[in-house]
Amino acid sequence: MIPILGLAVGIILGLVFDPTVPLWLQPYLPIAVVAALDAVFGGFRARLDGIFDAKVFVISFVSNVVIAGLIVFLGDQLGVGAQLSTAVVVVLGIRIFGNAAAIRRHVFRA
Amino acid sequence: MTSTVQRGGARSMGASLLDQVLAETLDPAYAQAAARKVAAAKSSAVPTESDPAAATARTDRRRARVLVVLVMVIAGLLAAITYDQAAAGAQGRAQVREALLGDIHRETATAEGLTGQLDRLRRQVNRTRDQALRTTAVGQRALDQLAAAEQGAAAVPVTGPGLLVTLANAKPNADSDPVGGAAETDPNGLVRDGDLQLVVNALWAAGAEAVGINGQRLGPTSAIRFAGEAVLVDFNPVTNPYEVSAIGDPDTLRDNFLASPEVGALAVISESYGLRFEFAKEKDLALPAASPPELRSAAVVPGVPATDQEPGG
Repeated sequence: MIPILGLAVGIILGLVFDPTVPLWLQPYLPIAVVAALDAVFGGFRARLDGIFDAKVFVISFVSNVVIAGLIVFLGDQLGVGAQLSTAVVVVLGIRIFGNAAAIRRHVFRA
Repeated sequence: MTSTVQRGGARSMGASLLDQVLAETLDPAYAQAAARKVAAAKSSAVPTESDPAAATARTDRRRARVLVVLVMVIAGLLAAITYDQAAAGAQGRAQVREALLGDIHRETATAEGLTGQLDRLRRQVNRTRDQALRTTAVGQRALDQLAAAEQGAAAVPVTGPGLLVTLANAKPNADSDPVGGAAETDPNGLVRDGDLQLVVNALWAAGAEAVGINGQRLGPTSAIRFAGEAVLVDFNPVTNPYEVSAIGDPDTLRDNFLASPEVGALAVISESYGLRFEFAKEKDLALPAASPPELRSAAVVPGVPATDQEPGG
């Protein structure tokens, strides 16, 4: 419950204070959000599975966000940034869907 | 869905990769950590409350919980910031678009004002010139020649009966995909510069005395060109539908126009691509003067005293 509150607090903080992000970081924000979503859904599902581990969650979150950003950065340098972004979004999207389905089965038993 | 890892030896790498992505939606680290915890619990004795190890484990757990909440706050922040950025980007684009539109309108108004000024000044020059020429017999003759030349050069507005030929793009297909905003138009269904050139040339050949497209008079040096998707007449864009008006005797114009083989070919083309190609006899057509060509060379009229040539005189 408290982590979900934390998420809400983060969203409200972001909307209220509207922090400015350096320009060079802006292209990586959307992909970082998708990666963060993946980690959050994974953590939530692990919680429902009863195997949640804080260390794993924190490390998976940070590494997900950093690696997603790095892949896109590398793609930008190589001229395939858009394609690599698509690849990252597809893979993470599949995982988010799978985890969301597992969460749904837990919550609704269906 | 289970998080079991399928490590089939016989499967190809691509298939196993896909399998892994599809089956392993949960980070296997969670399962590993859980297994480790179970193993640790089995190996160690049941902890008691007074055990110092249990106390450190409790503080560890509290720290972990704080970390998790912190990470969730960061996740929320990320999402909110990204949303803000996207919204601001859309807003910025709209603003830029509006500013550009304003610029275009302003510059168009300026250009129109300058054109009006140019027309006014040109009329003034013409009037002064006519006055100056009318005083002498030589000048009067030159003026008559000039009037005839101006007729030919489309430098004076004309009115009269004639033929109105309408060319229009094909209507967008009813079964074309309406989804996706920008309607993809078939380039074959668009009127091209060549079609207009053909019609105009056929009209000249049919005996037209003056020709204009969408109210824009064609002079002897007018060009009908294609730039992107717009047809330019003398570098001014004209838009669909294209109305070519030709002044002359309507009956001869029509007969000669229809007899022209190019027009027949164009009629077949427009039939097959769905272009609109019509013509009508008009009793009263009016065409303005064409924009006069730049003055590039001038010569002294023989017989006129050279004293008139002082600049500003």
